Amino acid sequence: MIDSSRDGKRPLWLNLLGLASLALFGVGAYLALFASPPDVNQGDLIRIMYAHVPVAWIGFVAVGVSAVWGMLYLWRSRPIDDVRAVANADAALLFSLLTVVGGMTYSKPTLNTFWTWDAKLTLTALMVALLVGYYIVRGLIEEPQRRARVSAVIMIVVLASLPFNYLAAEWFRTLHPAKSVNLDGSGVTMAPEMLRVLLINVVAAGLVFVYFVSERVRVGKLALSSARERSGFEAAAPATGEVVRVR
Amino acid sequence: MKKKTVYALLGVAVLGIAGFLISQALSSSLVYFILPSEYARDVESFEGRRVRLGGLVEAGSVQYDEQQLHLTFLVTDGIAGYPVRYDGAPPDLFMENGGVVVEGKFHDGVFVGDNLLVKHSENYHPPTDGSPIDVEELKESLR
Repeated sequence: MIDSSRDGKRPLWLNLLGLASLALFGVGAYLALFASPPDVNQGDLIRIMYAHVPVAWIGFVAVGVSAVWGMLYLWRSRPIDDVRAVANADAALLFSLLTVVGGMTYSKPTLNTFWTWDAKLTLTALMVALLVGYYIVRGLIEEPQRRARVSAVIMIVVLASLPFNYLAAEWFRTLHPAKSVNLDGSGVTMAPEMLRVLLINVVAAGLVFVYFVSERVRVGKLALSSARERSGFEAAAPATGEVVRVR
Repeated sequence: MKKKTVYALLGVAVLGIAGFLISQALSSSLVYFILPSEYARDVESFEGRRVRLGGLVEAGSVQYDEQQLHLTFLVTDGIAGYPVRYDGAPPDLFMENGGVVVEGKFHDGVFVGDNLLVKHSENYHPPTDGSPIDVEELKESLR
């Protein structure tokens, strides 16, 4: 790949990606708000689902991608992997907060409560708490290598909690409705015209996520290279897993 | 074996054990609501205790006094059923053969609820296709 991070300009493909995600977001919003039929029970409230579900799914994806970059950092100690892990962690925190806000908005008129401590919601609260903790810990640790290692471990723990969260309504009794789209091939309990609108919104949320993370990585690379210039050559990426102590 | 490999294997093992323990803890203690048949099996242990009772609203059992805001209905899991009293308006998605979770206490065989929550199924479809609510599927979702 061409290294356009040095001149500080946003590359063309990134701008196009931003425009594409904005356009698809608009299409998804139109389909959700106007084209989708109302639900037999929920009526127009089903339209909130088209925002809530994609945001929740992409939040999960962001945690997974961040954890993978965290694992790669633990393996080969390259500072750029930490930059990528943080970029995805930002998205994970943002999307999981939006999941909670959207879920509360959806839950009050349908389930008659903003919040309840069932397994699904408790695990989601745990996920948000761990993600907030991720940033608190990053703020507390000065040394870049140690900061990257500790936060990578936290994100791996968040990833380990995701299967329980994803399958909570299947495994435990919850107030939160069970999955309607089953990835194990046991079917979709949603009308096809609704599933179509949902999936378009998932792709839209995915594009927003990829754009956001790409831009965040670009900015992170700039910060990394300017930090290297400031601190001289030896503080830059150590070739091995050895920690360079700068105290 | 390299030190890193050992640490990686250890990490995977620890996470696996932690995951197993979490799943055990959750499945045994996180019963969000009890079913009428579970209450029927062990009446004494629930008497006077605040619990969540979940089930389906029995068709034809709903009585609602709009002036007094008195709502009574029968909650059932197909095996046992109990009358529920709730002082308040029913939520929008409260319906016959629909899922509910009621928070409250049993008093002389009547469940007096102070919070009425809706547990809807994961079936979403437009109203135009004319298919009636699949009660069996709803019951399945309450297991």
